[in-house]
Amino acid sequence: MLKKQLEAIVGEKNVSTRSSELYCYSFDASQAKGDPDAVIRPHDSGQVAAVVRLAGELGLPVVARGAGSGLCGGAVPVNGGIVLDMSSMDQIIEIDIDDLQVTVEPGVVHEKLNQALSPYGFFFPPDPGSTAMCTIGGLMANNGSGMRSVKYGTTRNYVLDLEVVMADGKIVRTGSRTLKTASGYDLTDLMIGSEGTLGIITQAVLRIHPLPRARSVILASFDNTALAGKTVVKILSAGIIPSACEILDSTAIETVRRYDPTVELPDAGAILLIEVDGMQNAVKEEADAVGKVCSELASGIKVASTADESARLWNARRLVGAAISRIDPKRTRVYVGEDIGVPIKELPGMLEYVRSLSEEFNIPIMTYGHIGDGNLHTGMTIDMLDENGMERVNTVADRIYRRVIDVGGTVSAEHGVGKARESYMELEHPTSMYVMRQIKKALDPHGILNPGKMGL
Amino acid sequence: MMEDEQLRSILKCVRCGTCRSVCPIFEELGWESFSTRGRMMIAKGISEGMDLDESIIDSINTCTTCGICEEMCPAGAIPPDVFENIRHEIVEMGKETESQKDLRENTLSTGNPMNETHPRLEWLMEQRDVPDHAENVYFVGCLGSYRYQETVLRTYDLISDLDVTVLPDEVCCGSPLLRTGSDAGELIAHNVRQMEEVGAHTMIASCAGCYNTLKNDYPDRFRVVHITEFLAENLDKLELERLDITVTYHDPCHLGRANRIFDAPRKLITAVCELREMRTSKENARCCGGGGGVRKGYPELSKALTEKRVAEVPEGVDYIVTCCPLCRTNMAPFSEIPVIDLLDLLTWAQKKE
Repeated sequence: MLKKQLEAIVGEKNVSTRSSELYCYSFDASQAKGDPDAVIRPHDSGQVAAVVRLAGELGLPVVARGAGSGLCGGAVPVNGGIVLDMSSMDQIIEIDIDDLQVTVEPGVVHEKLNQALSPYGFFFPPDPGSTAMCTIGGLMANNGSGMRSVKYGTTRNYVLDLEVVMADGKIVRTGSRTLKTASGYDLTDLMIGSEGTLGIITQAVLRIHPLPRARSVILASFDNTALAGKTVVKILSAGIIPSACEILDSTAIETVRRYDPTVELPDAGAILLIEVDGMQNAVKEEADAVGKVCSELASGIKVASTADESARLWNARRLVGAAISRIDPKRTRVYVGEDIGVPIKELPGMLEYVRSLSEEFNIPIMTYGHIGDGNLHTGMTIDMLDENGMERVNTVADRIYRRVIDVGGTVSAEHGVGKARESYMELEHPTSMYVMRQIKKALDPHGILNPGKMGL
Repeated sequence: MMEDEQLRSILKCVRCGTCRSVCPIFEELGWESFSTRGRMMIAKGISEGMDLDESIIDSINTCTTCGICEEMCPAGAIPPDVFENIRHEIVEMGKETESQKDLRENTLSTGNPMNETHPRLEWLMEQRDVPDHAENVYFVGCLGSYRYQETVLRTYDLISDLDVTVLPDEVCCGSPLLRTGSDAGELIAHNVRQMEEVGAHTMIASCAGCYNTLKNDYPDRFRVVHITEFLAENLDKLELERLDITVTYHDPCHLGRANRIFDAPRKLITAVCELREMRTSKENARCCGGGGGVRKGYPELSKALTEKRVAEVPEGVDYIVTCCPLCRTNMAPFSEIPVIDLLDLLTWAQKKE
């Protein structure tokens, strides 16, 4: 019955109720799970709107999904319903260099967008580790960002206008094609990071940025992570805004080596990878300034000599989160207790706290991440055949999240809340959760849009 | 009950989705169950006792085992091995597909998957004085024996002075069975026994699939080399002259990615003519769509992949050269440019007396 109704909207070949598909779409990269009733692959906003109207009539949940590379269960249909696999809506509709913008469908893969912009000398700055697979839709729904947010900000800073299918099936535009606007509530910003709970994005107008003329990568090594953390505070307070500032602890260094043995990294307790970009002369000056600040606490400083070396370094860095599974054949990375953000000056203390938890629970915790904006990823691996493994990492994760909230931080800096972190929403937003719930109620009164997420 | 080691190989997958951006079957079909990640999830489901319906079997059986996912996987998973093992489990559970059954029955009854019944190397024995004993055995392979006899004869002639013979009763190396979930123990034992009788210590394979199987699935008692490695080492003895042609080279997945043989074929090609690379090559080479039982089990899907690979041929080349008769058979009907074996090219370049 449901299958026939969906087929009438999107066509037979774009609906699946095969058990293989229902099973595969019950996961993302998190530990959340939920079986859908059907999976569809819509091709335009009209189809999305019709499906949302049908779901409203039937009282069925609707869950939008990009590449399913999310780490918090955002695209997992925890209450069942219809999963909308948006990856067929993957057209770059218009590249408008004169107006500094590009219009895309939500299924465009991040890397493909930047490949298309590069010949024009432009780029879309948010730079997630999942660039090769994640979609722009998922990036917007979670306000994703990545390595370059310390200078360029997050996805939110680049969305000018959205086409959104609302819970009642109406199609709305939220913004304008101008680079700024002061007209009315900012519905565009409301949709960014709403994880498909307020509407389904079917098109986006994104602001683009000229590619920097030059980039330079400085690699500074330290005896421990806390010294690296202190150095980050010094760099930023010295008035330098790097285009990337990443930390790798000793486990992460070993992981990078395992992943790509051609990347040369020093033996150290931690390293910082600091990139500066801009005009040639400015880059040189800033790189010198970074080197000077680092030299106070670093045990060694090196500058990546070629563009190829930098590229290999960044590629390995992007994949380090999953690559930690290479360290021990029996252990696999689980995305639990990661993606925290703390105020910059709390970084050294937080790094020390994570290290102490690692000792207390006897679990190796790899620390890496976008330390320049206070965003740390804590990577834990477990033996998936150990029955108590999951419980232990969940306990560690809980301790990490509580400490983060205590010091004024956030449980998710860029990966989203979804199912994985929903139980911390009240704790992090004690005075404003009721406002979020009222917004949700106003825009989705019957609760059909991605229910069971974000503590709503 | 699955063994811990096998279970762990499935659990290596962190579901990051990197493989989604490279799996050629997923690119074609678009549904998650046809991506490597989807198959890894389903393998886990099967290990937990999931019901095996047609959609589940299709998911597992549509992998060509091209290994580009393994190449890219940050977590270090080895999906082609996982899928071969799971196929075996599925077959053991009595869920063999018609295509798998055909392959198995044909190969075990006639010694080759094409079900040819006449003796496979009779034509070679009749034309050449093949010795009974030698240090090296040229493992001819099924497609070579029955479909590309000219190429095989040239190959034999090229190396016959280097203490080489063939197995008197060669049978299929077992690759088609191993890739699709069946046992090949009988075939392997048969070939190994003859190796011992011939007294050889080295097996030389010219087919990428045979090479991969002899190298990785046979008992570790003989040295296994690919003909391109063997010839590249003996390049100065071959007396080759340059040809006024330009070719491109298709890396067979089971020679390149699976066994890291990228340089030897290129060394031989560039010794005799111009080489212009395909759009993707070496570690990143696109699969031709022929492997893993996909050509036989899902011909339309296989064809779609082949067309994409052929579309990567650069402008201005005279031939597509490869080292795998299955890739050759698979691509030839869809390519305006002739597909030849590297050995054909080398024979053309041999100095005429």
